[in-house]
Amino acid sequence: MITLKKVSFHYKGSDAGVCDIDFSIKDGECIVLAGPSGGGKTTLTRLLNGLAPAYYPGELTGQILFNGKESVNSKSYEIGREIGSVFQDPKSQFFSSELAGEVAFACENYGMHTDEIRKRTDMAIRRFDLNCFRGHSLDVLSSGEKQRVAIASVYALHPNVYVCDEPTANLDDKGSTHLADMLQKLKKEGNTLIIAEHRLAWLAQIADRYVYIANGRMCWEKTAKQLAEMSDTERDIFGLRIVDKIELGSIQASVENTSPVLSAHRLSLTQNKKTIFTNQNFLLFSGQITALTGENGAGKTSLAKVLTGLTRESSGEVQLFGKRSAPSHRRKTIWYGSNDTATQFFTNSVTEELLLQSKKTPEVLERARKLLKDLGLYKFREVHPASLSGGQKQRLSIACGILSQRRILIFDEPTSGLDGINMEIIASLLKDESRKGTAILVITHDKELIQRCCNFVINIDKQ
Amino acid sequence: MQRTDAAISVKLWALVCTIMGISLTSNMVLTCVLAMCGFTFLAVQRNFRLLRGFGVFYLILAILLCLIRFYGLHMMVFSEFHVLMFWNLSPVFIVGWDLITTPPGELAAFLSYIHTPTPIILGVLVMFRFFPTMRAELKCVWQSMRNRGLTSPSQLLCHPAVSCEYVLIPILLRCLQIADQLSVSAVARGAENPAKRGSYYSRKINFSDSVWFVVWSSVTALFLVLGGVRL
Repeated sequence: MITLKKVSFHYKGSDAGVCDIDFSIKDGECIVLAGPSGGGKTTLTRLLNGLAPAYYPGELTGQILFNGKESVNSKSYEIGREIGSVFQDPKSQFFSSELAGEVAFACENYGMHTDEIRKRTDMAIRRFDLNCFRGHSLDVLSSGEKQRVAIASVYALHPNVYVCDEPTANLDDKGSTHLADMLQKLKKEGNTLIIAEHRLAWLAQIADRYVYIANGRMCWEKTAKQLAEMSDTERDIFGLRIVDKIELGSIQASVENTSPVLSAHRLSLTQNKKTIFTNQNFLLFSGQITALTGENGAGKTSLAKVLTGLTRESSGEVQLFGKRSAPSHRRKTIWYGSNDTATQFFTNSVTEELLLQSKKTPEVLERARKLLKDLGLYKFREVHPASLSGGQKQRLSIACGILSQRRILIFDEPTSGLDGINMEIIASLLKDESRKGTAILVITHDKELIQRCCNFVINIDKQ
Repeated sequence: MQRTDAAISVKLWALVCTIMGISLTSNMVLTCVLAMCGFTFLAVQRNFRLLRGFGVFYLILAILLCLIRFYGLHMMVFSEFHVLMFWNLSPVFIVGWDLITTPPGELAAFLSYIHTPTPIILGVLVMFRFFPTMRAELKCVWQSMRNRGLTSPSQLLCHPAVSCEYVLIPILLRCLQIADQLSVSAVARGAENPAKRGSYYSRKINFSDSVWFVVWSSVTALFLVLGGVRL
């Protein structure tokens, strides 16, 4: 049983934090913390697993009781034994390059005996069907598989409570479904689950209660049933991403007598003797937004890099405006916006970033200004790109693509890890740009984004 | 093929032996005895990748040494001095490299066995993760620079300082971010626990390990007796 009584927390040297949080979580219950990005979900998870104020210093008032004991008085490793934590990005949590070492990590820290560590590690690996990854380097696993390893490494310690902070941010549909299965297993074993998430669809079968947090405050609390009864307009107000799983309807495609701007013919890529994809044929049209879908690891990103000329194709060809085009030419004509915004920004301010490599004529400056205003980034124009939030970074990245004035734009997972409001902004941004005649290809597994703005869907299968 | 690594203590002993051997000997050329012992050591552990790499390197050195000795070869860049230096140090390189390419898990197990404080063990583990991670990150940065046309030869030549900055800024920021996430993940999984650290791997000294103890000791002793000691 976890009880929060009038809990307020503010990070040291910043206004961010949460205020007056009051709720309790029963043993074996599954609670979802929903709400917009930057609303305080992550802070709340940090309070629950003790990382705030132990690791993130700040001022805490009120009481957090864990089984009747105040958690501020416990050491980080005492809390860690009872409350396991799973984070957003699995790849940067790993301490070992191989499976057994990683799963055993927590048990090793608690100084258990080798036999006990082996027993627990092997059981966790079996429980989550990870045996096939023994002997592989963890770096080659897909994001979904990495997240499974991360959960197994917490499971080996047998905590009673699991706190997950946006565990599906980097996962595709299949990965999320798999994760849902795992969490279902944990719940059946009587564990308490606390999940901060804004993609709600995959949680439908697991969640008992939803707590909505915005601006650092708890706005409402609903049971799973009450949430299912909410109307679409109500959900839109709160920026909640659709609860029931949606199937893709027919997507209207209207291309009349236009020639494609890009056409791929029998495109294949082989790297290190491994076939990444073969025989891809498709067309991109001016003024259309095409979605590229497929499982994690199917080669979507590799395909995009080949189209953009960042990787050379093994066979086949890419034609731009009806003419065969070499990679060096494609690099100048096609924009590739990577999913990882961390390595994309090179300058000291948002404005500089936007104007990098473009001539600073009055028209360009005017365009940049308008774009920043449309994106709600104008007041951050002098800020360092690294200090923006995830959604803002993603918007800036797309803005850079638009301002590059290239005729074809490719974006890789522009909405992963973003809440409903940010997804909406990005969808309308892409639609505006396509109306100007730009051809856009979006790699995504975000069905809502596809529904809102895409005209075509290309699906590639795993080899 | 599965490697059969020797116990860390044996590898350490081999390192001590080779260092003692090459620093005490007065016959530089005879260090090939230690090198051969090192190669056999690698072969027995089935570490064929390392064996191949060092084997080729050593062979080239041997050919160069022959040419210098018997045909009076004289190179401007890589002189006799360098050839002999590498020839002399090779045994240490072989054994040392074998030691640091031991799977990190086994290394950590050994460190906790000799009561190394947990922060140092975690430091060692992080160091091993650092290189592959950084390589991947650098690749990403390079790719987005290419995408934005920041890698054209004219750009790199005309603005070398700015180009360096373009690489460094995202890399440094990323380092900070990764460091933060790693620490959080460690703290949440009990890394601050003061008790002695356990380990998944346990490596007891077996028969072949004891044999190698004896082999390294006797080969080094023999080598010093044959080659003479420089005091």
